[in-house]
Order: sequence, then structure tokens, then C-alpha cells
Amino acid sequence: MTVPYGPDNRAGGRVVPVYALTRGRTRSAGKDMPIESLVTVTEHGLRSRASLDIEYRKIIELGQRPVSLFEIGIALGVPVGVARVLVSDLAASGHLVVHAPPPVEAGGGPSPELLGRLLDGLRAH
Amino acid sequence: MDFAPTSPGTRAGSITPTPLKILVAGGFGVGKTTMVSTLSEIPPLSTEQAITELSEGVDDLSAVPDKRTTTVAMDFGRITIDNSLILYLFGTPGQSRFWFMWDELASGAVGAVVLVDLRRIDDCFAAIDYFENRRLPFVVAVNGFPGNDEFGAEAVREALVVDPDVPLIWTDARDVESGRATLVSLVEHALARAAATAA
Repeated sequence: MTVPYGPDNRAGGRVVPVYALTRGRTRSAGKDMPIESLVTVTEHGLRSRASLDIEYRKIIELGQRPVSLFEIGIALGVPVGVARVLVSDLAASGHLVVHAPPPVEAGGGPSPELLGRLLDGLRAH
Repeated sequence: MDFAPTSPGTRAGSITPTPLKILVAGGFGVGKTTMVSTLSEIPPLSTEQAITELSEGVDDLSAVPDKRTTTVAMDFGRITIDNSLILYLFGTPGQSRFWFMWDELASGAVGAVVLVDLRRIDDCFAAIDYFENRRLPFVVAVNGFPGNDEFGAEAVREALVVDPDVPLIWTDARDVESGRATLVSLVEHALARAAATAA
């Protein structure tokens, strides 16, 4: 299986609308990937990136350190919704792992344990 | 297929990175952009995003060819807390007509900093109402504009009509220490709330 979409006919920069990058797919990734979701590349992703199209390769480069969906959108110059579709492709093909935000506690926010770590980190900075 | 689906072997080893987010809200020109860019470890990013995207995923624009998407500027920053915890800051658009977009940003957030300019105090009421209704922890941070230190905390609290447990602090959006102290106040407040809920 290769990552979808065919031969690169976008020579010399993007001459097609960004939605063409996703081949018109719009909701495949759904809303289960919030914009702060973090992406990291897998060993498979690193090994096989040379065969990928340029947008996908860029995402693999970015994902060598944890990077959010939102940052990927900015780096690629595409709306975050388009980044979401591209990241889903790469996650489905095993090139990336997506790390969702932490589960929300009863009070609506992150757990006291996580908030404690955040507080320690901010104080130590 | 020549590979196992979703290999867990990430580049970063076995550590699972976790994102957290804090919103920076307030009226137009109150210092949201300044505060986010002062605190961020990455170059200040102000990005235009189609509002339909943030609230709805990607709209199928082909179905409504004449539908207009509105883009809004949003400030964005990042603070790497440790190798597995990353804090994102979102400066939220002040115009109230974009507020439906805040729901996604506010969902699961640690909390919000509401920046206030005491010369234009009305500008922050909508943000305060929004966070109160959502029960999202927030602090009110009076930005250090000229004359903003002429009012005492009591007077400001009275003018803002916020609950007594909402922290009220004076800050300087241009100063990194001051900004960090503001975030610390917010996280302390959020932690106290979370602990009270859990108890």
C-alpha cells in the first residue's frame, strides 16, 4: 500500500487548490483529531519517506520531533483541515503515530497529575 | 501490505508526547499577540484559518460553491515543558462573531488568560462570560498599559463582576517573567479546581 494520490503533476509549486491535495476528501479524519494533537514519525515512516510526495515528506520531516497538527498546517501553508486529512493518511499507512490530547477529567480539563507536571515545568523554566 | 499497521515504534522512543493548551483572550489590541509571542519558543506565528475548518472539520465547499469562508487571524505559540509535555498557546480572536470557533479551542484546555485594558474594560466582558458559562478556569490579567495601575484590585473586581475565587493579577505582556507568572497563576487555579472536583 502506498500513500494515496497519484503522480506528482504539481511541478513548480502548488498550482492546484489545497483541497486537491486531499483529492476532495473532506471529512475522513473527522473531529477526533483536535488541532493540538501531536504527531511523531515511525521507523517505517523514516525509512520509506523517499517514496512519498512532497507534502507527505514535509510532514515526516516535521514529525521527527513531536509537532502539532496546527503547526503542520502552518508549515505546509494549508488549512488545518487539510493537514488533518494528510496526517490521517500517513497514520493509516503506519508512517506516523498521532498522540491525542489527554482525556478530559470530570471537571472538564486535564488531570491534576498533568496539571502538576505543567506547573512544575513552568516554574522551573 | 509490507508493514504492520500503526507501528508503536516512534522516533522519540517509548515516551508518549502529550499536548496541553491555554487560551489567551481579550478585546482587540489588548496585548494577546504580544503575550503569545513573548512566551513562545518558536517565532511568533499569526495564522489565518478558515473558521469553518476549526469548527466543523473541512467543509465540503463543492456542495455550496458560493459559500464564503471567513478567515481569522489567530496567534499561536509553543512552550516545550519537558520531552513529553508540550504547551500550546492560542490567542483567540476577539470579535464576538467568531466565538463559536472557541468551542473547539476551549475543549480540554487547561484554562484561559483574559487580558484586560482598564481603559477599555467592556472589551473583556464577553470573554469572561464565555469562560464562566463553559466553566473553564480563567484568570483576569490586567495588562500594564499606562494608567492601569491607578485602580486597586477591589475596584477592578467590582467593575468586572467576577467570582471572588477568580485570580486577578497585573501583568506585562511584553515581559517573559511576567507572562510566565501569569500562566503559573492560571495553572495553580486550574489545579485547585481539578483537585476540588476530584475530591
